Amino acid sequence: MLSIWIGACDQGLAYAGLALGVYLTLRVLNFADITVDGSFALGGGSAALLLSDHVAPPLALLVPMALGALAGAVTGLIHTRLGVNDLFAGILTTTGLYSITLRLMGRSNIPLTDLRLTIDSWPDLGLASDGRWLLALLLVVAGLIGLLTLLLATDLGLALRALGNNPVMARSNGVSTRRGLTLGIAAANALVALAGALVATYQGFADVTMGLGSLILGLGAVIVGESVLRPRSVPMALLAVVLGSVLFRAMIALALQLGMDPVDLKLATALLLLAALGLGRLRIPGLSDAGGRS
Amino acid sequence: MSLQVQRLRWGHAQPGGGWRQLFDNFEFSCPTGQFVVVIGSNGSGKSTLLNLVAGTLQADTGSVQLEGRELVGMPDHRRARRIGRVMQNPLDGTAPGLTIAENLRLAECRRRSLLSLRGLAGLHPSRSDRRRYAELLEELGLPLADRVDTPVGQLSGGQRQTISLVMATLGQPRLLLLDEHTAALDPRAEATVMELTDRLVARLGTTTLMVTHSLEQALRHGDRLVMLQAGQLIGDWNAEERQQFTPATLRALYGSVTVGTHSSESP
Repeated sequence: MLSIWIGACDQGLAYAGLALGVYLTLRVLNFADITVDGSFALGGGSAALLLSDHVAPPLALLVPMALGALAGAVTGLIHTRLGVNDLFAGILTTTGLYSITLRLMGRSNIPLTDLRLTIDSWPDLGLASDGRWLLALLLVVAGLIGLLTLLLATDLGLALRALGNNPVMARSNGVSTRRGLTLGIAAANALVALAGALVATYQGFADVTMGLGSLILGLGAVIVGESVLRPRSVPMALLAVVLGSVLFRAMIALALQLGMDPVDLKLATALLLLAALGLGRLRIPGLSDAGGRS
Repeated sequence: MSLQVQRLRWGHAQPGGGWRQLFDNFEFSCPTGQFVVVIGSNGSGKSTLLNLVAGTLQADTGSVQLEGRELVGMPDHRRARRIGRVMQNPLDGTAPGLTIAENLRLAECRRRSLLSLRGLAGLHPSRSDRRRYAELLEELGLPLADRVDTPVGQLSGGQRQTISLVMATLGQPRLLLLDEHTAALDPRAEATVMELTDRLVARLGTTTLMVTHSLEQALRHGDRLVMLQAGQLIGDWNAEERQQFTPATLRALYGSVTVGTHSSESP
């Protein structure tokens, strides 16, 4: 029984990069980015390919991040250069990414069953493999929160936050919308691709369709986390998002425990989020935002 | 000259069809440090002129030079590195989710590209930045010195506009554009903002263009008064010449000079 919850915790932490990426685009930049569906699978697929080719795990995580950043930058450029609406820009990139990920993987599914990772030699905290993963993922997520907290506290982070908060004000103080959005969306998708890579490694396989519904999962984590912690500062908001990711996974684990058919998982996730949105107290900036920013 | 506008042409399509050439070889200049008040009826081109200088609208042809540097063709965010601007709506000039200190920091860095590696150097606004901003607000007599860590969204419209005004003067702008910046304020907040405007302009000596519909403001503030009508300069008075007017006589001038508009089917 305990292992189910540890497993949910592991999954929540593995998906934390996705939640942080969605937080960065939706909350910081006020940009609804569907690219995450594509970059999550791109991250998972490329990491699986590299790991199955015995590439060192750190590199097998960094390369997907770079690819994710590139995918995000493409969406940013489509939106800011061509004036395409944010949702359509993301859909365009995601649609293209499906073929690119499939080409990259060479097949629709890459198993990683006989993979031996460095963390296999770590202490297991008495929880077997899940304990090792918990430790490793906690370190990665703590590093991500620390890094993002620092980034958002710099002048560059301030410019990005201003851009999402009031683009007119940001521009009238010298901030380039094009560069800011492209940079921010690229950074967010690097985080999402990292999550894809971690999830693929954790679950022992990558599938070309693994990104389906990622935006909703990330959004769910952001909303649940913010509802629970009601953060008032950037570090607390990041922590809330990660907590949201874990809680969201726990809810799914609970639903499965209660006998829900895994086939209905995506529907249940969507309905859960819809119910949360329907409460009407949750502000989702970005979802009604038009494109054409220059 | 600080600001020199030459042969400026700008027109727009009209809702009912046709083309309105608002500015047709428009000429205007002002020396460094001059505080110019721009008046004119609705549609006369006052705010459009400010938008063309700020770059939120791009001129069709012509030249806009600020201290010898050509601005036409330059995007608005690049121009903003030299131009401080306060807009009519207090909600436009500040980011409500950021604190007063964060808003001021962004304005102070207007000359630097923050979206580069330089933007990663150090955490800002630092403690010393915040102290400096508190001192500045205190020095300006604003009761916000102890609230630099307050999100701007929690301030009143008047307070937000004073912060916008202070922001517009930070980062050594070469030109200050004030676009009916007291129009949305109550009389008390208007008086506070105008008093602050005079003090900041006098203190910094920045060339300033202020658009207003208030004829009382037009007669009381600035070194020079100009009147626009249908994209043409129909009046230009220095502070001494301006004394001949009262709000009533100035109001009588509105619409008394007939200036033809150029309408055609295409630009």
